[in-house]
Amino acid sequence: MRISTVTFQNDSVNRMDDLQAALSKTQTQLSTGKKLQSASDDPAAMVQVNQLNVTISASTQYVTNGNAATANLQLEEQALSDATNTLQSARTLAVQANSPTLSAAQRQDIAQQLQQQLQDLISIGNRQDSNGNYLFSGTAAGTAAFAQSGNTVTYTGSSSVSQVQISGQQRISSGDTGASAFINIPAGNGTFTTSVGAANSGTASIGPGTVTNSSQWLPDTYTITFGTGGQYTVTNSGGTTVTSGTYTDGGSVSFNGIQVPLSGTPNATDTFTVSPAGKSSVFATLNSLITTLSSPGLSRAQIATQIGTGLEQIDAAVSNLGNVSASVGARLNSITSAQTTAKTVQTTLQGQISNLSNVDYTAAVTQLSTEELALQAAQASYASIAKLSLFNYLH
Amino acid sequence: MSDLLSTSVSGLLAFQRALDVTSNNVANAATPGYSRQNVNFAERQAQSSPSGYVGSGVSVESVTRSYDELLAGQARSSQSGYSNWNTFAAQAAQIDNMLSDSTTGITASLQSFVNSLQNVANSPASTAQRQVAFSQAQSLAQQLQNYNQQLTTIGSGIEQTISSNIGQINTLASSIANLNGQISQGLASTGQTPNDLMDQRDSLIDQLSQLVTVNTATQSDGSMNVSIGTGQALVTGNASTRLTAFSSPYNASEHNIGIVSGGNTTDITSQISGGSLGGLLTVRSQVLDPTVNQLGQFSVGLATIVNQAQASGMDLTGATGQPMFAAGGVLSTPASTNMGSSTIAVTRGSLSALTADDYQLKMVGGTWKLTDVTTGQNVTMTGAGTAGSPFVAAGISIVVSGTANNGDGYSIRPTAGATAGLSVVLTSPTQIAAASAIQSVASAGNLGTGAVSSSSVTNPTQWPGGNFTISFTGSNAYKVLDSGGATVATGTYTSGSPIAFLGASVTLTGSPVTGDSFAVGPNNPSNTGDNTNAFAMVDALSASTLNGGTASLTGVANNLVSQIGVTTQQAQANASAQQSVNQSATDARNNLSGVNLDEEAAKMVQYQQAYQACAQMIQVSGTMFNSLITAIQNG
Repeated sequence: MRISTVTFQNDSVNRMDDLQAALSKTQTQLSTGKKLQSASDDPAAMVQVNQLNVTISASTQYVTNGNAATANLQLEEQALSDATNTLQSARTLAVQANSPTLSAAQRQDIAQQLQQQLQDLISIGNRQDSNGNYLFSGTAAGTAAFAQSGNTVTYTGSSSVSQVQISGQQRISSGDTGASAFINIPAGNGTFTTSVGAANSGTASIGPGTVTNSSQWLPDTYTITFGTGGQYTVTNSGGTTVTSGTYTDGGSVSFNGIQVPLSGTPNATDTFTVSPAGKSSVFATLNSLITTLSSPGLSRAQIATQIGTGLEQIDAAVSNLGNVSASVGARLNSITSAQTTAKTVQTTLQGQISNLSNVDYTAAVTQLSTEELALQAAQASYASIAKLSLFNYLH
Repeated sequence: MSDLLSTSVSGLLAFQRALDVTSNNVANAATPGYSRQNVNFAERQAQSSPSGYVGSGVSVESVTRSYDELLAGQARSSQSGYSNWNTFAAQAAQIDNMLSDSTTGITASLQSFVNSLQNVANSPASTAQRQVAFSQAQSLAQQLQNYNQQLTTIGSGIEQTISSNIGQINTLASSIANLNGQISQGLASTGQTPNDLMDQRDSLIDQLSQLVTVNTATQSDGSMNVSIGTGQALVTGNASTRLTAFSSPYNASEHNIGIVSGGNTTDITSQISGGSLGGLLTVRSQVLDPTVNQLGQFSVGLATIVNQAQASGMDLTGATGQPMFAAGGVLSTPASTNMGSSTIAVTRGSLSALTADDYQLKMVGGTWKLTDVTTGQNVTMTGAGTAGSPFVAAGISIVVSGTANNGDGYSIRPTAGATAGLSVVLTSPTQIAAASAIQSVASAGNLGTGAVSSSSVTNPTQWPGGNFTISFTGSNAYKVLDSGGATVATGTYTSGSPIAFLGASVTLTGSPVTGDSFAVGPNNPSNTGDNTNAFAMVDALSASTLNGGTASLTGVANNLVSQIGVTTQQAQANASAQQSVNQSATDARNNLSGVNLDEEAAKMVQYQQAYQACAQMIQVSGTMFNSLITAIQNG
């Protein structure tokens, strides 16, 4: 076959060009550590890498969100624990004040100490985070949670709390409102309260009762009125009879999904009341204790009853703070577990990205030396063949 | 004896000529487009003698090129194919590289913006975090603008190259026509082929085929006719026609290609193929314009989604959220050939129906017809085209006024101009509407355990504002009343399921009882810690709201990257394949037409020896003559 001199030159140069281009590409991959330089290298892989980067970035953000929420929740947890301690001190003072040997002046001293506890509690409720946002104001971050006028404390925050996203699917509350922690403390059993008629003459007393079927419970004020022989009727606030029956000592009265236990013997016309549970504010509880202890004219019995009620309410408040605190703890656990998962996922995804886009150094170096060898061979053979010419032999 | 002398002299002359040709071949061994020349020897007519015919030497009949029209044609067409794909790949690779960076690409920037909104959600009252989100919004808009700017630069580069290619084609065409004239004249006057002129002409046609695919036809007078496209004559004999680049009637920034004949210009843009010109035209229509459009679709999506979320919220100052982004409007251009008085106004409507295609609205037979230019399909429009009932199709609304003649038309590019006009229109970070526009509060006298979980505006255009009351008429039945006491919605309550009315959504949990009520009204400006709407914005940004609800913003961006990647990859593969084809076709041509120095060396030796032999014969003839003279003198 006839080959023109130009063909030989062109082909040799083209081959060396190609080899140099391949070498340069391998060299770029080695120096950048990336085998995906642009989407055209592997469009599917490039899109996957972009998507994985987005997922990692979002996941990193969720970890940051979790850290922010953790900081807030830990402050809240501390505040709840401080509030519980303050209430325990107040409880101890109230128990001391119940001693029959105390003088009115001594009770006045205790009242002053309780006043201090009330102030402490308000300042705990109005704690702020590092950004100056009130911990217990809900979404009204810039408004103090509690306002004090005399000894009356009202909640001034909002009724909702903000959420924080701790994973792709999970949003949790980053706080609790002051209302749920300090104000809306359920009285009685949380659904209803029971009380004994003021004019009762019998020996019967009523227990706090339980809810047997919450879907049947219709909130209303019900009156249990006894007749002779333990017969009773239950009427609602409209005077309509809800149920009736006969009581035996130690028995109970059931209606509308609730059950209230009684003990002792009621006389005819004795009444007992079942009312929907109200909410008590821990500030109001302390305030009424202070008022009681500061009033010199009260009888011993009145003082004992009111302190008894106060202690009950303090216990309910402590229990409520415990519930809120438990919920905070559960949220902190959720954050920790979401963050752990996020970090594991990030490591896995980084691995995938690296598989897709990072260069395999062993393979690349091998390829580089193969290409180097090929280029050297092309150059050497060109240099040697190009010297061949018939003209060299014509002298 | 005189025969011997003249025969030898004819040999001397012929071999001298042959050596001339050989030396010319050697001298032009590296000249591009040179076809090696052969000397064609012919015996001179023999003289008759009684003892038979005696030869009378040699003559050089002609000097011809080693040339094969088929091989030359193959080399040319493969050259057109190669430069077509090579140009396409080079331009597409620029766009590919621009979009490919996975750490600074669109998806990464969008995610940074989403992350900054999450940080706003973490502390909505913090102006520092709002400032970061505000800056992220600006840098996202800026990045999209930068991309668009780069695409515009690439586009104007393409337009300039198209114009200069047209100029080169015109120069080449007129040179070819000129050479045609000289060649036919030379052939007619001498009967011999003017090899150098023909090489020059081939070389020019080769250059032409790098610019555009050409067809050639050799004529009997030696001239070569050249046509482009689907047979548009560029060179006929010694005359050439001129190509011209003129602004597209529908898009002034793009050039169409016309052929000028008899003072009329015919648009042959769609018929041009191959060569770098063909490559530029395809890269423009298949890569550049679609990229600008899809980037625009992303920009429109971003602005629409964020602005709608803003409108559903309350900013840090307590005001209703204002639009955060503004995107450029729909580009609609009347054809420069319109005769009627019509004008159109086009606006964007449904984000989900919006496409990244270009459209053409044309008056055909008294009716407006909309065609998707990208797919070539007709698109059905609803409405009458009036302000009260605009034409609606593909996420755009068109209002036509004035009267149009048949054939009048408009180019409509719904998304092409969106990115260029993209900007952040909020003026202060406090205007980011992180809080919900509404709040719900349980009435103080509620006896059940129902509590508000969240309240938000889901459709700001439906939400009338004002105060409403959700009132329970049973433990699981509710009605929603407006401030005048009229019922606007009723429904069955399920804990945790949203209660939706008038574009608002309120979620309650727990067990409300009959008579419980919840007041729904404007959010309190003091709720600076409310982040409900920041989350709504984050959710909306990742929701599949584009392309008929099948793609999210990230999906559109990923799709763009992969589409350009695949196109570039294919173009590079085609370019590389065409390069091999072109190389082997060129080799085949060169192997026939190119000079081989060893061969020329051998021929040189051959002719030199023959020349020396002829000279020797002359000496012999001289010796013979001397012998004869000496014999006569001695005798």
